Amino acid sequence: MAHLAEGTLRRMVDDPDARAASDARHLDDCAECKERFEAVAGDARSITSLLAVPEARFDVGRAFERVRTAPAAQPRFGFRLPVLPPTSRPMKLVLAAAVAAIALLAVALAGNYNLFYSPTTVTPVPVTVADMQSLSDLSAYGDITWTSQPQLQIVSGAAEAKSVSGLEPPVVGTLPAGVSSTVTYAAMPQAVAVFTFSAQKAAAAAAATGKPLPRLPSGMDGATLTVTVGPAVGEIFGNIKQGSSGDLSQANLPQLVIGKSTAPTATSTRVTVKQLESYLLSLPGVSPQLAGAIKAISDPSTTLPIPVPVQFASSSTVHVQGVSGIALGDNTGVGSAVIWVKHGVVYLVAGTIKQSDAIGIANNLT
Amino acid sequence: MASVRPESEAFESLFRAEYARVAGIANRVLADPHEAEDVAQDVFIDFHRLHSASAQYAPAWLHRAAAHAALNRLRGARRRRRREISQAAEEGERTMDPQKQLEVNEDRRLVRQALGRLAPKPAAVLVLRASGLSYAEVAEALGVGVGQVGTLLRRAEAALRKEVTRGTSS
Repeated sequence: MAHLAEGTLRRMVDDPDARAASDARHLDDCAECKERFEAVAGDARSITSLLAVPEARFDVGRAFERVRTAPAAQPRFGFRLPVLPPTSRPMKLVLAAAVAAIALLAVALAGNYNLFYSPTTVTPVPVTVADMQSLSDLSAYGDITWTSQPQLQIVSGAAEAKSVSGLEPPVVGTLPAGVSSTVTYAAMPQAVAVFTFSAQKAAAAAAATGKPLPRLPSGMDGATLTVTVGPAVGEIFGNIKQGSSGDLSQANLPQLVIGKSTAPTATSTRVTVKQLESYLLSLPGVSPQLAGAIKAISDPSTTLPIPVPVQFASSSTVHVQGVSGIALGDNTGVGSAVIWVKHGVVYLVAGTIKQSDAIGIANNLT
Repeated sequence: MASVRPESEAFESLFRAEYARVAGIANRVLADPHEAEDVAQDVFIDFHRLHSASAQYAPAWLHRAAAHAALNRLRGARRRRRREISQAAEEGERTMDPQKQLEVNEDRRLVRQALGRLAPKPAAVLVLRASGLSYAEVAEALGVGVGQVGTLLRRAEAALRKEVTRGTSS
């Protein structure tokens, strides 16, 4: 019989009763495995003592009070997505989640750099992680107040999704093979955020990071930007609510997400589109590539920029539902997305599917 | 919504059932009960925002999120660790001989540094198992088969030992 695997030996250390009878016999008879077992057990004991901490007592009742009374949400971009906690999953799943997340975030993010704007078309804009972070740090430059909070809710079905959002959930024609027909509905009522620029806060933020602060355009201090996001509905295909034993990674990741949202709008006081745009793009951390791509948009008041992570995805222009949209990803099935705007509504189809399937779903959506 | 009331009740019972364990996982990483409670509360708030408390995967989600959130904090705040760990140790171990306590604090700091240098998955395996999760619970939290846990644990222990040795000899 072959020698026992390290993992088997390790489990025997924790649970001597768990060993199979044949493994136990082998261990009794094999001097080499016995020696390895001792080494594994020794390592396990020393790691246990290294990771020991003084016992802590937690006041669960007090903790619950703190959580219950915590501010409901401080979403940086508008709303959060049911994506996964940080984890070392295979790259392909991370990528798919990232593409879907970025694509949906676009709706809220776009509001940060366009004014008086109601988009009628979409354009891809390459972004880096640093770009996302620096734009999300925008809150350091002023005060955000939500006159109505973005509350993305998981709802019981299409009817409730409609009553929460006021939008008719899209109906999918046919699903590609391999995509579960189990669907979870999500809905979000309209959310409105007012951002008030503060010269004082911006100066403090710059001082804290040690980075030079871009000069505020005159009138910027106290200027407000009002962004309206949603309402929106989403359909998430896949058994996301069922933790099948041992294979949580598959259970948790949506195979296909279909989103529909009233296009975001933004209005401002005191400053112009151009001033705000060039100010935001001069923030430390925003890459010259992003700044260039945004500036290249000829009519920012009618174009919805779709952030595309530079290192992850390629984008192309496609024709869907009679309008032009953007397709991300490729035909490998790792992940792809299609985004388009029609009649003032932004649509998204994204998932761990081939690009051709995503476009097919998009065209058959009713 | 009609389902608000039962969901809030489900959340409260999930919270009461899992809070000590979630905070314990974070404390295992951070060796600082106060900071661990901050992490645990963030984890629950994140969960509550988007997931149903009656979901089967809820405990596994919380365990994994606690390990990763605490490890992220550990990596981000490594510079502050010396002070915080010694404070935490003072609270927990006032009765210890001062010389001995210094040594324990130093060891604890080095181990946390080493833990922060491990890849996320091995670090999480060690932390979850050391926090008392069963092999099945560790497997579910990390989305791996239960048969893989022994192997992952063994490799992670070897990796941590190596990192600790590297930390003390440099």
